[in-house]
Amino acid sequence: MPIKIPVGFRIICWSVCWVGLILVGAAAARDADAIVSDSFHYMRGEASVSTVVMTIHRPDWERQMTVNGWTRGEKDSLLRIIEPPKDEGNGTLKKGPEMWTYNPKVNRVIKLPPSMMSQSWMGSDFSNNDLAKSDTLLYDYDHVLEGTETHEGKKVYLIKSIPKPKAPVIWGMQRLKIREDHVMLEETFYDEDLNPVKILTSSDIQMLGGRLFPKFTTMRKAEDPEEYTRLEYKALEFKEDLPDRIFTLSRLKNPRR
Amino acid sequence: MHFQLAWRNIWRNPRRTAVILIAVVIGVWSMVFLGALMVGVSDQMVRNSIATLTGSLQIHSPGYRADPVIDHSMDHPEEVISVLKKTLPVGAEWASRVRVHAVASNARHSSGVTLVGIDPAREAAVSFIGGAVDEGRYLDAEDPYGILVGRALLENYETRSGHKLVLMSEDAAGEIASRAFRIVGVYTAELAATEKQFVFVTKAAAQEMLGMGDAVSEIAVLLPNPTAGDDSAAALQSALPEQYAVHTWRELLPLVEAYLEINRKSVAIWYFVVFIAMGFGIVNTMLMAVYERIREFGLLKALGMKPGWIIRGVVTESLLLLMMGILAGNFLALSTVLIVARTGIDLSVFAAGAEFAGMPRVIYPVLKTEHVTAANLVVLVLGLIVSLYPAFKAARFTPVEALAHT
Repeated sequence: MPIKIPVGFRIICWSVCWVGLILVGAAAARDADAIVSDSFHYMRGEASVSTVVMTIHRPDWERQMTVNGWTRGEKDSLLRIIEPPKDEGNGTLKKGPEMWTYNPKVNRVIKLPPSMMSQSWMGSDFSNNDLAKSDTLLYDYDHVLEGTETHEGKKVYLIKSIPKPKAPVIWGMQRLKIREDHVMLEETFYDEDLNPVKILTSSDIQMLGGRLFPKFTTMRKAEDPEEYTRLEYKALEFKEDLPDRIFTLSRLKNPRR
Repeated sequence: MHFQLAWRNIWRNPRRTAVILIAVVIGVWSMVFLGALMVGVSDQMVRNSIATLTGSLQIHSPGYRADPVIDHSMDHPEEVISVLKKTLPVGAEWASRVRVHAVASNARHSSGVTLVGIDPAREAAVSFIGGAVDEGRYLDAEDPYGILVGRALLENYETRSGHKLVLMSEDAAGEIASRAFRIVGVYTAELAATEKQFVFVTKAAAQEMLGMGDAVSEIAVLLPNPTAGDDSAAALQSALPEQYAVHTWRELLPLVEAYLEINRKSVAIWYFVVFIAMGFGIVNTMLMAVYERIREFGLLKALGMKPGWIIRGVVTESLLLLMMGILAGNFLALSTVLIVARTGIDLSVFAAGAEFAGMPRVIYPVLKTEHVTAANLVVLVLGLIVSLYPAFKAARFTPVEALAHT
């Protein structure tokens, strides 16, 4: 004979369950948000100065360029190519939402129009948008903690990031692997059918600029592993702050001033 | 009596007559049929172009045509619209739009498009988009994130209905504005180029995205007779304040206008070429017929026939030839046009090339009375004029010359 439970009691039970679930869910989301945001700030630092060798690899050719970079906060950055001589002096300045490029051969600063935002940066697998919307992961996505795994003895959080419905984001989803010490191990960009498009992976994590940091970062096309762009950090220094004068148009044109 | 005489003369050498008849028939047929094809192409081009967001006429801010950017939009469309209501003839439709260059991207692809912000209900009455959506649904006024894209664009972007498209453009403050839209419908257009170029969102969504308040880029008007815009344009221009410019479709589409002109000229050139060939044929045949009958003409002269009568006789022969040829040629041309008009001439095999020229995919010939009349008159009048030469030749033979001729 079935046990009769009063309807009122059942409702209370369900409510408790639901509230519990919602609370747990909210907590998980907050955790995931915190993990992503901590990782972002850890990887980017308050401010940084770096020298990176960028290798653009294609099935039948490969080229390298050396780039000096300065970043400050979530939004400002300045990049300048110092090698090879052919490209030397080309630079990109990003300040707040705006972006400019400078080409020394024509001695012109161009403010990047919307039409150029989705073009690649200096022929690499990174687009101008990847630079311009550096902080998109913080503001345009809802993060959910999916699970954990281990990497070199440390716990790794697996996070699924779904763009907010109205966010101007082209991706359908991102999956992040963030180690408990805030190092971002992998970032996969999916289209709306949830097929992977691009994968950003980190490797060779070592002490760089006073913190554990991946020496190599590779952006790879999911469908064509032979096409990738690898960043190798030759030097990296994290700073408290950088002066305003670095993130200016005159600095973009003339490194010595 | 000379009609009977001429008729019999023609059939004295049936083979020669048949040959020249065939020449006339083919000439007339090609003139009428080709003319109908050309008219068909031009008509369709004009109709397509007017439907593809041009309308009969458009009102802009004066700088917009030279530089279609957001700075050249009209901040107070309502004052234009109140003038439109007063000035336009009954049955005219109008729609205001936001129209700017933008970049559309998704995870796989990105390219330049024209972002068109429309008032869905009004737009349906003015341009093709109202009836062109064949998958999903048309926009509705309360659709702040819906977007309509063309079939070709959808395929390019490897996406489908329900998916997201991020648009980026320069906003009113000169900053980069971006917004995510969801594809709610897919439209097909006559030209793949149109499908790739235009994406449609609601006017309100575009205004909000670009931070332009109530401003619009253009107002398009479709008149009850779409191709006649000159009078209304003049009336509007004088009724509107100076800061607005009114242009008819002819001014907005100089390329189409030029193409129509080329079309007209090439039809004229074709008429000319056909006629030259046919004219020589006629002259040749008639000369042959005349030289063959030198002794006959000499005899007639000797019997006292006036030269004018001889001329009339020969010209009548060629008139009969021409009349027969024209009748048969027209009959042939009309039946070809009727047959072809049912299915049209499908150019889709060469579609890529044809589309590049802005031509429709399927051509339906259209007969215009004035073209048919022109072709027939050209053949008849010029044919008679050229046959004067052999006629005069015949009239000038003297009996003595005729006797000397064996």
